Amino acid sequence: MELLSNLGINGKLLLAQIVNFFILLYILKRFAYKPILKVLDDRKEKIEKGLQDAEKAKNKLGEMEEKEKKILLTARKEAQKIVDSAEEIAKKNKEEIIIESKSQAEKILSDTEKKIEEEKNKMLGEVKSEMAELVSLATEKVIGEKMDEEKDREIIEQAISHKP
Amino acid sequence: MEISLIPEVIFNIGSFPVTNTVLMTAFIAILIIIGAWLVKKRISLIPKGFQNIIEIVLETLLNLVDSVTQDRKQAKKFFPLVATIFIFVILSNWIELIPGLGTIGVEQEHHGETMLAPFIRSNSADLNVTLAIALISVSAAQLAGVTALGFKKYLGKFFVNPFKKPYFIGSFVGGLELISEFAKIISFSFRLFGNIFAGEVLLTVMLMLVPYIIPLPFLFLEIFVGFIQALVFAMLTLVFMKMATAEVAH
Repeated sequence: MELLSNLGINGKLLLAQIVNFFILLYILKRFAYKPILKVLDDRKEKIEKGLQDAEKAKNKLGEMEEKEKKILLTARKEAQKIVDSAEEIAKKNKEEIIIESKSQAEKILSDTEKKIEEEKNKMLGEVKSEMAELVSLATEKVIGEKMDEEKDREIIEQAISHKP
Repeated sequence: MEISLIPEVIFNIGSFPVTNTVLMTAFIAILIIIGAWLVKKRISLIPKGFQNIIEIVLETLLNLVDSVTQDRKQAKKFFPLVATIFIFVILSNWIELIPGLGTIGVEQEHHGETMLAPFIRSNSADLNVTLAIALISVSAAQLAGVTALGFKKYLGKFFVNPFKKPYFIGSFVGGLELISEFAKIISFSFRLFGNIFAGEVLLTVMLMLVPYIIPLPFLFLEIFVGFIQALVFAMLTLVFMKMATAEVAH
């Protein structure tokens, strides 16, 4: 024990130092190690996740580009198809319209011709009857004597219909 | 100039002698507490300034512990003690670099002689401090061994039946192991005490001989020694803990 006191070892001081060290250990563990290690772990996790996400995003982007290309291609094809069919329909329509209008025109023409003929015939009939009356009147005046009216008419009508 | 192996008593509180190393221990404790509080308060996922430094120190230590234990779970268990020993010891060692070492203090009467009791004396130049940490370190190793292997198996490392396979050799090796556990306490405490006390004496003497320029290389040397001793203390603690948890291989 003489040796220990010569070296300055004192039970009270030793105990005080041990207690002090444990206090420091507790405080550092509570306020420094735990939060710092947690932050380090969290950061590691976050960076790992970030890198993974970036990789995923890159892959997805590639996929999207490919998809886009495919969609564009099909859209172009579809559009071409629509245009083609529209052209075809238009062509068909055009022919139909032309044919229809032609037939319509022909119909109108023939109708008109028929009507003109009818009118002409009607007019001719009227003229004929009027002429007969006129002629009979004129003959009456010239001859001055009334013939048998029926006979007279017959003659006139014959004369008119025998017109060259 | 007096060089004392024993830290000087500045004053007494009741029967408790307040030595200069007690003051320094309190100073370091306050420093560490403030540092820890700052870390806790300012911690964020995106580090900056002070947090960066602390993170570098702690992460390096953790990786070191990890490389020794080869086991993340065990590393996390051992890490607080190892890191605290490192931080406390390195700060204790570097106290001797503070200007005023061995010069600023109070005059005291001792056996009719006036002696200077300096305020600044490195913690590690007090056997009470080094012995305290050595006791904690070795006890921690025993505790680690007992919790990892179980009480009976751990005792089996030291007390080997002399009538079994390697016979008396086994018992002899077990006895040596037991003695070495106690030797560890002594080697731990005296290694640190010796290095830092010698450093203090060296710096004080150099300062007395040539006050300018010449002490500078010694100051740098002491920075280095302080770091190495702290690292050695922490690493040995770690290695002893790891060895205590290892299975018996006779």
